[in-house]
Amino acid sequence: MKTTRSTAHVFLSASIIALTALAVSGCVTSTVEQVRESATGMSAGDSVVVLGRRNRPSQTQTELDFIDCVSNNMADGSNSVAVITEQDFMDAMFPWFEPRTAPLNTNELPGLLQQPVLAERLREIGLKYLVWVEGSTKRTSQTGSMSCTATPGGAGCFGFLTWDNDSSYEASIWNAHTAKTAGKVSSDAAGTSYIPAIVVPIPIIARVQTSACSKLADQLKIFVQDEV
Amino acid sequence: MIKEQSKTKALAVCSVLVIGFLLSACAGTKNLALDTTFPVPLIDKLPMRLGVYLDEDLRGYVYNEKLEKKGEWNVDVGSVQTELFTNLAAGLFEGHQLVTETSAPNFDGVLEPEITDLQFSLPTQTRSNFYEVWIRYNFKLYDSNGNTIGDWPLPAYGKASKEDFSSASSGVEAAAVAACRDAMAFFVLNFQKVPAVKQWLAAGKPQLPPAPAPIPAPAAESASPGEATDSQPSTSTEPSAST
Repeated sequence: MKTTRSTAHVFLSASIIALTALAVSGCVTSTVEQVRESATGMSAGDSVVVLGRRNRPSQTQTELDFIDCVSNNMADGSNSVAVITEQDFMDAMFPWFEPRTAPLNTNELPGLLQQPVLAERLREIGLKYLVWVEGSTKRTSQTGSMSCTATPGGAGCFGFLTWDNDSSYEASIWNAHTAKTAGKVSSDAAGTSYIPAIVVPIPIIARVQTSACSKLADQLKIFVQDEV
Repeated sequence: MIKEQSKTKALAVCSVLVIGFLLSACAGTKNLALDTTFPVPLIDKLPMRLGVYLDEDLRGYVYNEKLEKKGEWNVDVGSVQTELFTNLAAGLFEGHQLVTETSAPNFDGVLEPEITDLQFSLPTQTRSNFYEVWIRYNFKLYDSNGNTIGDWPLPAYGKASKEDFSSASSGVEAAAVAACRDAMAFFVLNFQKVPAVKQWLAAGKPQLPPAPAPIPAPAAESASPGEATDSQPSTSTEPSAST
């Protein structure tokens, strides 16, 4: 009876520690930079689309959830802007923005916009800026070890794991009205995550990608609405 | 004590069941059906009315492959072909209708797509970050009397990053959808550039006379009496899916 109570006590304490640790996240350092090539600004009815580059023969591809995250963050909070989702835009403009057919640079935009059906559709959806995002989040290093055991009497883990994540993204902003590049915004973030485990693993996760996303979205909101 | 023993037994049985389930999930049969919709292309319509003939082989196309340690895979791409080609034709041609044979007197011609090959790969096979799907289509264009105008292949490709999909099934499915969209996009933008089609359009969509009916073989040499009735002409259009 005494043993059962002490085991329950250990698990309760461990659970409390684990829950507390969930609230704690690892440190992330992030940098945002921008280069402006022309003036920007948005009027009522104007919208933005955030697209991932998928037409390059690359070993990495910008994560779909990162594109969604940037789109959602731009559409929410203070200074929010109207955002069209990537899938809705690609369907509305099909087949002109598919991986094999999407324009690679702004030089190709005037040719596209000269087509009356495309120009008309862009007017309908009120698109002013196309934001092309490239980059990804990578795990750059990982050390430590952890072992877990499960027996009929209980389960537990022991060890220490740590890893570094590095996010690097760059957004090119194209003005769909002038068919010119408006500028570039880059967002880099790095952070180390830890999982110490004495019976219960306690994850202390550095939310590197989330940080890169929110910083990039915040800067993009400022960039596209800046009249200067 | 007895209670403890039965508890241990129950745990052991559960463990065996869980491991068995996990193993079967890893190496069992995977039946993939594409869950998607295809957009209508945004393009100036070509001044032509085409029948679209989708035969049973295309509509029922299921690619089957057994992968070592990954089980059997059935990738059903046939079930989405009707929507794909209906929407494609709705955007690209001034008029279209699904037809049941390769001649259609009320149309300028008939388009017949076919899937001749499909391949897919998993990131573990290619040591890359992507699920990849290749679909090889072959298209035939007939005039309204069923005479062949042109015949050309169209390779399509789709990929999906393993970072974006939690399971191999959803990754291959996304790559297959991407390959179908790629085929559609490439067809829409290049249909007029296919030499045979370009020539036919430039000549004003000429219709050749119907090919003469095959001379029936002497009764004594025919394989079976049923064959003669099989070759009877049938009606050419379906009432569904008209513009």
